[in-house]
Formats: sequence, structure tokens, C-alpha cells
Amino acid sequence: MTPKPLPSLIAVIDIGTHKTASLLGQIIDGKARMLSFSERRTDGVVKGTVTDLEKLTQCVHEVVNDIERGSGRAVDHVYLSLSGPAAEGERVKGFVAVPAHDGKVTAKDVADAIASAKRLEPPSGRATILYMRQPTMLDNRPVSNPVGMAGKRLEVNFWRVTMEEGNMRMRVGMVNGMSIRVRDFILASHAAACATASDADKQGGVLVIDMGAGTTDWILYYKEHILCAGSIPVGGEHLTNDLSVALRISRETAEDLKLRFGSAMHRDTDVNQTIWKDGDKGVGDQQFNRGTITQVLSLRYQETIEFVRKDVLRRLEAIFPGHAVKLDQNMIPSGVILTGGSASLADAAEAVQLVTGLSARVGVPNFENESLRKPEYAGVVGLMTAAITDAPPPVRRPRGFLAQLKELFRL
Amino acid sequence: MVTRLSAQLPAEVAVALLDTDARSLPAGTAQTLQLGRAQTRGMGTGGEAALGLASAESEEAGLRRLFAGVPLVVLVTGLGGGTGSGAAPVVAGLAAETGATVLSFATMPFSHEGERRMRQANDATVKLGQKCHGLVVVHNDLLLQQVSPDAPLSESFAAADNWVGGAIRGLASAFAPGALIAVDPAALRSLLSTPGSPTLFAYGVGEGEGAAMKAARAACDCPLAHAPGAVAKVASLFVYVAGGPAMTSTEAFEAVAAVRARFGGETSTILCARIEPALGDRIEVSVLGASLPAPKAPAKPKKGAKAEDPAQPIFEFATEESMRRGLFGGTPMTFIDGQDVDVPAYIRKAVRLPPSP
Repeated sequence: MTPKPLPSLIAVIDIGTHKTASLLGQIIDGKARMLSFSERRTDGVVKGTVTDLEKLTQCVHEVVNDIERGSGRAVDHVYLSLSGPAAEGERVKGFVAVPAHDGKVTAKDVADAIASAKRLEPPSGRATILYMRQPTMLDNRPVSNPVGMAGKRLEVNFWRVTMEEGNMRMRVGMVNGMSIRVRDFILASHAAACATASDADKQGGVLVIDMGAGTTDWILYYKEHILCAGSIPVGGEHLTNDLSVALRISRETAEDLKLRFGSAMHRDTDVNQTIWKDGDKGVGDQQFNRGTITQVLSLRYQETIEFVRKDVLRRLEAIFPGHAVKLDQNMIPSGVILTGGSASLADAAEAVQLVTGLSARVGVPNFENESLRKPEYAGVVGLMTAAITDAPPPVRRPRGFLAQLKELFRL
Repeated sequence: MVTRLSAQLPAEVAVALLDTDARSLPAGTAQTLQLGRAQTRGMGTGGEAALGLASAESEEAGLRRLFAGVPLVVLVTGLGGGTGSGAAPVVAGLAAETGATVLSFATMPFSHEGERRMRQANDATVKLGQKCHGLVVVHNDLLLQQVSPDAPLSESFAAADNWVGGAIRGLASAFAPGALIAVDPAALRSLLSTPGSPTLFAYGVGEGEGAAMKAARAACDCPLAHAPGAVAKVASLFVYVAGGPAMTSTEAFEAVAAVRARFGGETSTILCARIEPALGDRIEVSVLGASLPAPKAPAKPKKGAKAEDPAQPIFEFATEESMRRGLFGGTPMTFIDGQDVDVPAYIRKAVRLPPSP
């Protein structure tokens, strides 16, 4: 089976709780040149879960129409992002005993090990969305390419992402409705990492935290591979909500105050710093204590990062049972990269540093178009980057898997 | 809690303890009534609200006897468990039927107590709100904000007793004979005439110089009035000021003015003041307020729902759930480590927010 050739046109759609963004790019010499971009307010998604399919479908159709009109090109397939708790990840492994006659690993041994890993059925009712390659181990030593090396036991590992079958059909069906195929799903956190983390970051170890409106997705790279990924159903909307409850103000006012006066760190100097809602001190203007705003937001922000930290540790313990796993600068030398809309909250990096003890920075996607160089666009830009770098797939899929996938996508 | 409170109450107040669990009804000064002897055999309800409800219904005759001829019933209950959540609405309903004005203080479980108790408590507040004339919800989470993080547990409970105890003491003394500015229970009744309307309650104590203003300010900052979603301004207020012999009328009226500036009370403000030598140089201010719920277009009856009594006006009653969860009200709860994370972090962590300017 030959690797899929890279198409010359790539369209990606990032469906978030707050907004849906789509990017169409032309691939020239393995690099994307932006043809058109569209973003619209998402309807029908609450806390990362689809609540109104009809509204969401309409929204997706609108962004696809936008990018088609904007570029004058027809889109026939798209890459979709996958985020939130609906996409559940776990590690699967397969191994073979290397035949004893010469003790060298052959390409067939690798293929057999991969097949044995992928034979593991996902829990009933769930469909496998994607496999991401993790380190290959030869006699418990990580190796990058085992073919030709001597050893006894070859083990391959994958990070497998599954999704409830109905949920996946719904997403595929949404796009199929306008005669467009889903070429592949890409994990949103992986996309965010592709846009903001360098190869050197991934080589050493880096944790990317993508905090969107409804969910916070994270992914951990260690020695160039994806070690694990997860999602917390808390996001920027929770920051807004807390502020609206605490100050008894509308969602819009809370959102506005969050952006203008919010911070992920609460400082004593904030208290008794009086701020005005509109600033004109006119009729209907209200004054608030800035300390209240930063107190409410910092508590929620830091708690969410703490949930992420616990989730990372929980998953690491599941992968390395019995080992005392510590999240520190030795394991993750490149520290934390923050992406997503909530990364723009003031002092976000400082708060993450405080909670995790790791160095942290806000990740800005590396892209030719300046208007997309903001942390909130790391997802959609990264989808494009991931689509290019992941195709042809680094791992050849065993026979039948692709056919199976196509079968599902044709629904 | 009621057992602890009964010791501090004036003699005019009759205290009755109701429970399904026979062990929590000590023989002593207070009148006791064990609910659901047949249903629970004196063992408690094990968290089943349905059992609590059946227990209270089975004791209807006893409850009616208890409330006969009583003008004002203050019901103190802890929601979340089986007895409180199930029996309280029934008890309140019976008391209201006998002609008493019913004011309920209901404590909500801590967020750490989990999903089930919180749901049960949320359901119960809606039911209870429809049965009583006034309902004051006390969030245990908020009470925790009042004590320092390293305070012993007993202190947190003492704080809870203090808020509710002060309220009941204030109300009871207000109606006792001998007040400077007296009111009768009927005044309270007119204030709380509409079941299901949001009730405001605040309590504050001040001491020493400027005690009245200190007490008024403490009442304005009272956590019970600052619960998320609690009513900010009300149409009618009932203000009770009690102080030692040194309290001057100017002081008392200043305190009332401060309270009115904070809570409203434009339609009517009922005043009550009293000298209590035992208070010394301390002054207590209790505030009770109600506003008429905004009339709202009748909701479309849900399919299959039983037709309610058509004479009963339909009001939107903001549930505790939507008050605490804000914009996420009505969406399914999201649990991490046994906490509903849609509830603001500062409430769950019991952090006291800086005062508003």
C-alpha cells in the first residue's frame, strides 16, 4: 500500500464551543499558502458537547461556503478537529517475539507488532478515530527504527483515540451533508502543538494546554512522540460565568470585563482599585473592585490548570504503573505552551508556572498571515500544519483499516 | 442545630424538633415529634427524600396539633438528606394550612457532598419555596467563607448557628411584648404574602462606638444576602434593631437608613426596635425583605404534565441550581473529583471576595 499523496488543496475546520474557524490552503512544496479563512460564532455547542445538531450543521456549512467563495475553489474534503471529553484516548501496545534464527528485526516483524496493537478492539459502541505513534521499544529500550537491529522482544505503542460511534457519525454526517468527505480527524491539542511547539520542544518534552471556550485540551510530548493527551470540560466560558455570578452582571459585560481587567493572578494591589464598566461615568455605568475580578478569575484559572496537572499525572500513572512520575523541568524541559482563547488572559503564563512548577509561555502560531498569529488561532492553523506533516502518515496503516474508515465516512 | 439554638431563644418561642431518626431527638426541654415511625422504625431515611416525604405525611395529625394556634412558624432544615428534603415541604405546607406564617431557613449541602445530595436539595428548595411564605437559603459553602481556613470545624458550625440563630432570635424578640416600636406578626405576614417570591435575609452585629452603623454595615455584607443569585434589592423590608439601654434613636434610624440604601424597601419598610439590657453596648440588626415576583407569561404546560390548579398563579421561581451555576443553569452538571465544576470556583473553595466599592 502506497502512502496517500498529499493533495494540493487542504481545507480544515476547527469546531469550538465559541467559534468555528475554517482555513483553506494551497500546498506548494510541502508548505501551505492561505487561500481563504472564515470564522463564525458557533451555535448548538455547550461545554464542548453538541446540543443542537441542526444549528451546528448550518454553522459548518456557512464557514465552508465562506472559504469556497473566498477562494473560488471547490472543497471536496476536509480535516476536522477533535476536542473535548468525547474523544477519549488510551495507550495500546502490540508486541512480537523476534524469530531466533538471526535475532534481527525485519520490516515484517514491525508490521506484525503494529497489527497486533491495532487488533485490540475499542470498547463496544466506540469507534477508533486515530492512532498516534509512540516510541517503539526493543527489549524495553526505546528505538527510533528497529529494522535491522538485534533483539528478542519488539513492542510498538500507539495513543489511540476513540469516540462514541453515534457521535462520530454525527460529525461525519454533518460534513457529508454538503457532499464533502472527512479526510481525517486531527486531535485539537495535537494541532495546537503543531502550530506552536518546535521540533526541539517535542524532542525534549513539552506540555501543550489548549484552553478554549468550553474545554481545556492538553497533550504531552516526550522524546518526540505523543505520550498522552486528555481533556477537562472547563474553559473560558467558566471564567466568564464565575464573573457574571460574582458581580451579578450579564454574560456580555462579564466577557468584556474579563478581557479588559481580568488576570490569572490575584495581587493585593488589585484590591480597592476601582474600575468603571463603561468608563464614561455616565448613566448606567457601574464601578467594581478590580480585586474581585482578579480573585474570581485567578481561582478558576488556577483550579483548571490544577485539574490538567492532576489529569496528566493520572494518565502517566496508568501508562507507567508503579513508577513515581513527577512533572518537572527534567521530564519536560520545554515546559508548558498555552494556546486557545483563554491563553490571552493576562498573566496566564505566570499562573501556570505557579501551579505546575514548569516554565510556561503563550504559544503564538507560526503562520504567514499576520492576523492569524494569535493563540486563539493555534487550533485552526495547527490543523493545517498537522495535515501536512502527518500525511503521508508516518505509520502505514494495516490493510483493512483504511477501508473500514472509508466505509464509516461514506455513511 | 435546633437543639443548640433552643438554648439561646427567649421563652416566648416554643421549639419543636422533628426527625425520623429517634436518636437525634433527645428527651429534654424541647418538644419532639418523631416522624415516620412506621416507615423508618426510628432509623432515619438513609438519604431517601421519598421516605422523608412519606414519613411526614404519616404524621399529619401530630403536625397539625403542633401548629394549631401558632401565628408564626420558623422552619429550620438542612436540605440534601432524606428527612430535610422530603419532609420539610410537607411540614411547611401543613403549617401554612393551619394559618401560620411560615418562614423557612434551609441549609444547602457543601459542594463536596456530591451530586445526589445537591440535586435532592435543589429539588427541595423549589418545593419548599412554593409552600412557605418566605424561604431563606443558607449555603454551607458560603458560611465557610466567613471563617478562616484553619479554623476548627466546630467554629464553622458555630458560625452557621450564629447567622440563623440571630435571625430567629431577632424575629422572636420583635413580636414579644415590650418593644419600643412594636409590630405584630400580621405585618410580617403582609410582607411575605406571596409564596415563591425570593426572600432576602441579612443579620449583623456591631459593638462599641458607632455600634449601630457597624451592625448595619455588617448586615449589608452578610453572606446570606450575597449568595449568588440572591435578590439585590427588594420592594418591602422588615428591619429589626435591638440594642442595649445606651442605644439612641438617632443611631437606630441611621442604621435603618443605611440598610435601606443597600437593600431598597421603597414600597414599605416595617420598623421594629427594642431595648435589651443583656446586649450591653452591642447592637443587632436583622433584615428581612421580599419583593413581588415579576409577573410572567404563563409557561406552556409540558406535554404529559399534570394540570396544576388553574387558580394558582404561575411564577418563575429561580431554583438554587440556576442561582449557583449562573449561565450554566439548565445544562447537565459536570463532575470532576466529585464537585460540580460549573459552580464558580470561588464558591466551591469558599473564598471571601473583596468588598465592592
